[in-house]
Amino acid sequence: MTPRQLVCAALGLAVLCRPEPAAAQKLQLSIAPSVITFPSSDPDAVPVIAAAPVTITYRVQQNNTGTWSLTVLAAGDLIAGPATVDISNVTWVATPAPPFQNGTLNKTIAQRVAAGVGNANPTAIGSLTFRLVNSWTYSTGIYTQTVLFTLSAP
Amino acid sequence: MRLSVCLVLLVALGLAVGSTPAAGQTASATLNGPVIGLARLTLSSAAVTFPDADPDSMPNVAASQGPITVTAKARTMVNGRVTLTVLATGPLRSGLNTIPASNVTWTASGAGFSGGTLNASAAQTVGAWNGSGARTGTQMFFFKNLWTYATGTYSLTMTFTLTAA
Repeated sequence: MTPRQLVCAALGLAVLCRPEPAAAQKLQLSIAPSVITFPSSDPDAVPVIAAAPVTITYRVQQNNTGTWSLTVLAAGDLIAGPATVDISNVTWVATPAPPFQNGTLNKTIAQRVAAGVGNANPTAIGSLTFRLVNSWTYSTGIYTQTVLFTLSAP
Repeated sequence: MRLSVCLVLLVALGLAVGSTPAAGQTASATLNGPVIGLARLTLSSAAVTFPDADPDSMPNVAASQGPITVTAKARTMVNGRVTLTVLATGPLRSGLNTIPASNVTWTASGAGFSGGTLNASAAQTVGAWNGSGARTGTQMFFFKNLWTYATGTYSLTMTFTLTAA
């Protein structure tokens, strides 16, 4: 085999061994309602305040055997002017489990809400009920904070 | 020429281990939690009783219930003032006979709680502090015992008021 033939053979091998380009995963995610409200309540009567359930609609396509995960990250503590309530006082109860799981909000590390393998196709739904630990120590005010849900399939 | 072949193989290897970029989809939601002003006051006893006693041997009669536990819970603005007061509806009465409410005093324990003298015209401070939370203290009532009192069973009503700014 001449040197030129050798090079051509190597190129041919390279082309044959190259994997088929993986199609990018297609992900869809929506949250409803987008405003999660904890009604003001007497801490003695309602030690934990439950918000109305949130429906999470998601779809994972072209993921084959890959994993996917849904996480949530709070942008900070609950804030009402100068008053704050630590975001760790907010937890959630999720269904169905699996792929969903219960958890506690965190402002520094995204927390897993759900995880799975392969596709979630057609569209699937889950339900999250957020709960706020109620306390007499909270100052009056209207507390708000943003939470970011991320559906990913690395 | 041998060098060229090696170069081609390296390029092929690079193509084989190339990874697919991670994919991600996001959605945000807003947490909303109104906290309104609220106050709750609890007394361990709704009655304070002073037993009859000899004024010489017991010039100050302690309430037979012992200390009353006062639990005050309040939600207020940041550093908002919380006050607990008590007001007598009038003097101690037994028929037509009266004893001034000021003959009843109390000592207190607990952070923010203070002792005082009962008054029928101006509410007296039992406790004061800043900020939301639950506080617990005690009040021990005493009755000034005198020979001048007419016999009878005297009573009055005290009204406690918890206020959160």
